[in-house]
Amino acid sequence: MSQSLRPYLTAVRFSLQAALNLTNFSSQVVERHNRPEVEVSNTSAELKLQPMHVSRNEHEQVLIEPSVNSVRVSIKVKQADEIEQILVHKFTRFLEQRAESFYVLRRVPIDGFSISFLITNKHTETMKTEKLVDFIIEFMEEVDKEISEMKLFLNARARFVAEAYLGEFVY
Amino acid sequence: MEDWRRIDIDAFDPDSGRLTAEDLKPPYASSVSLQELEPKISQLRSAATSGDFLNALQILTTDPPYSADETTKNQYFHAVLGVLTQVRQADITNLVKQLSPKQTDVLVKYLYKGMSVPEGQKQGGMLLSWFEKVTQLSGVGPVVRYLSDRNTV
Amino acid sequence: MSNSIVANLKLAKAPIYSHCFSQDRSLVAVTLNSDCLVFKLTPGGKPALVATLPDHDKTVTAVDISIHGRIVTCSQDRNAIVWEPLSDGTYKPTLVLLRINRAATCVQWAPSGYKFAVGSSARIIAVCYYEQENDWWVSKHIKKPIKSTINCVSWHDNGIMLACGGTDGYVRAFSGFVKGLDSRDQVANSPWAEKFPFGALIREWYHGAWIHDVQWRSSQEKLAYVAHDGSFNVVDPSDHVSTTFSPEGLPLMALVWINDHEALCGGFSCHPVLFGEGASGWQFSKNIDKDIAPSTPASASTGDDDDEGNAPFGMSALKKFKELDLKGKVSAQVQESTHENAIVELAPYSVTAGNVTEVSSCGLDGKIVIYRV
Repeated sequence: MSQSLRPYLTAVRFSLQAALNLTNFSSQVVERHNRPEVEVSNTSAELKLQPMHVSRNEHEQVLIEPSVNSVRVSIKVKQADEIEQILVHKFTRFLEQRAESFYVLRRVPIDGFSISFLITNKHTETMKTEKLVDFIIEFMEEVDKEISEMKLFLNARARFVAEAYLGEFVY
Repeated sequence: MEDWRRIDIDAFDPDSGRLTAEDLKPPYASSVSLQELEPKISQLRSAATSGDFLNALQILTTDPPYSADETTKNQYFHAVLGVLTQVRQADITNLVKQLSPKQTDVLVKYLYKGMSVPEGQKQGGMLLSWFEKVTQLSGVGPVVRYLSDRNTV
Repeated sequence: MSNSIVANLKLAKAPIYSHCFSQDRSLVAVTLNSDCLVFKLTPGGKPALVATLPDHDKTVTAVDISIHGRIVTCSQDRNAIVWEPLSDGTYKPTLVLLRINRAATCVQWAPSGYKFAVGSSARIIAVCYYEQENDWWVSKHIKKPIKSTINCVSWHDNGIMLACGGTDGYVRAFSGFVKGLDSRDQVANSPWAEKFPFGALIREWYHGAWIHDVQWRSSQEKLAYVAHDGSFNVVDPSDHVSTTFSPEGLPLMALVWINDHEALCGGFSCHPVLFGEGASGWQFSKNIDKDIAPSTPASASTGDDDDEGNAPFGMSALKKFKELDLKGKVSAQVQESTHENAIVELAPYSVTAGNVTEVSSCGLDGKIVIYRV
């Protein structure tokens, strides 16, 4: 693990630990509803806590928005060039289309971020909080690796295709 | 009006009882103005340039201007960020050790604020190493207190 | 398991938000989803289910048993129900006329057993009592100046003062004086106020963070509360607040007085924490049910795999399995407590001469645990 990645992940870990203390909370606006308060924009302000930005630099950030019964975690994945932008977009889209198998994944990321998770009190009640934190941290570690790996494959493939195609014209 | 289905009618109802971000601000006796803060800002700057970081850190973590308005807070925050980013990596642990728990809580507020604005994000690595040292010494407590505290810096 | 555990009952697979033992400790009522279950406890035997109280159709949030054995449950479906025990072991439900339009969050019987208070998300506390002529439980509302959901209520031993705390960050003490049920003598010489008309705000304290639990220590005329910032606070009639923070830093959810100078708190650290009052004020005194020496926060922090950077590109399947197996181990070591998830309620279990010697707790992991203090 590189030298500057460790403090970044440590900060995210502590922020998540602090945020993932959720209670079952019924809506005080809508009768007989129980909804994740962080997702309701026009809800009472007192049910949300201070948002937490953890940034390694301008391109790699995590935004954690805690509320009384839910936490929204949004990750901005490093995108150095256009190829990476496309790859990140395709990759996160692939995951989001299968969001139900990830339980905590949100189908649409919030503005300015690559991917968002929504963790509610139902999740912390049925799963171990520590493991949920581990999952997010592992995802952050893996996604960078995955993207750079895909980029390498893509370049290798492009080189191969170009060689095969242009080889036709070599006599 | 096209979007009438999305109008938040509760916002127009004075009896809805809903609290806004304004209502959550703790009851302050008075608000601090920029003039009153000037001496503190120049104190911070001079302590930072002379290399007296312990002193600077003590100043910035004691009595932060909670009651000031946003622009004043931002002005003050620039001075704070200047101090935090000038400290050498190796000195951080020692400096953090000399803070009281209350002061650590204030420091954490400035770290999160720093990471939420572009100027601070450029220095992300520096702020993260501060954060790492704080959590090594005091654990998750200061972060939990940051979350619930309605006093913002 | 450490020796401070008297009993560890795994009663449900879903979170238990609230539990209550009967006066003689032979029955325990627990909330489970939209039901309330009553178990009979026999020494040495397994708890046996004796009754299911099924009438709610949303999550049951709280349950309490009065000194007469009546069970009251309240739920997010906006209702509260009083269950009268019948001679054949079943319960007869009576709906309470709460008149609230949001979830009911907490309930507690007054010490007399003739009235109870229900806190709600409708920013209302309903004080309910039985009306003979209509054969119904009716309620009176306390509204002002509550600004948000009530999380907890607690009756003073005098049966008139009612403390509450909620998500608006205020702890408040109200008067729950019901004409015809209470008499002025109950609050004679009270240090908190002179007059106690129903619904009057007696005191309020601003804390800021959400209040999760409040409890009176009536004999000392003190009020303790715990909040989401991990603080444990005690106030007295002169409005002096003393604040201490939980050692792990995680929020506290529940609290119970042990004696005049000690209180036990539980929360997201999954094991109870004892606070004591010494010469220098209130302080953390000890952890209960936590054997492992407190590890430094650094060791609980993230990935210590130093070789990860120079690992070969394609990871072997075996290595991957090994890593998956190790996942979460670092943190699992810290969490070697009986409760595997947050503790949400504590209650005195056995009391001798005003000192609580055993405390029962319930948690999000569906367990009831009895601790020896």
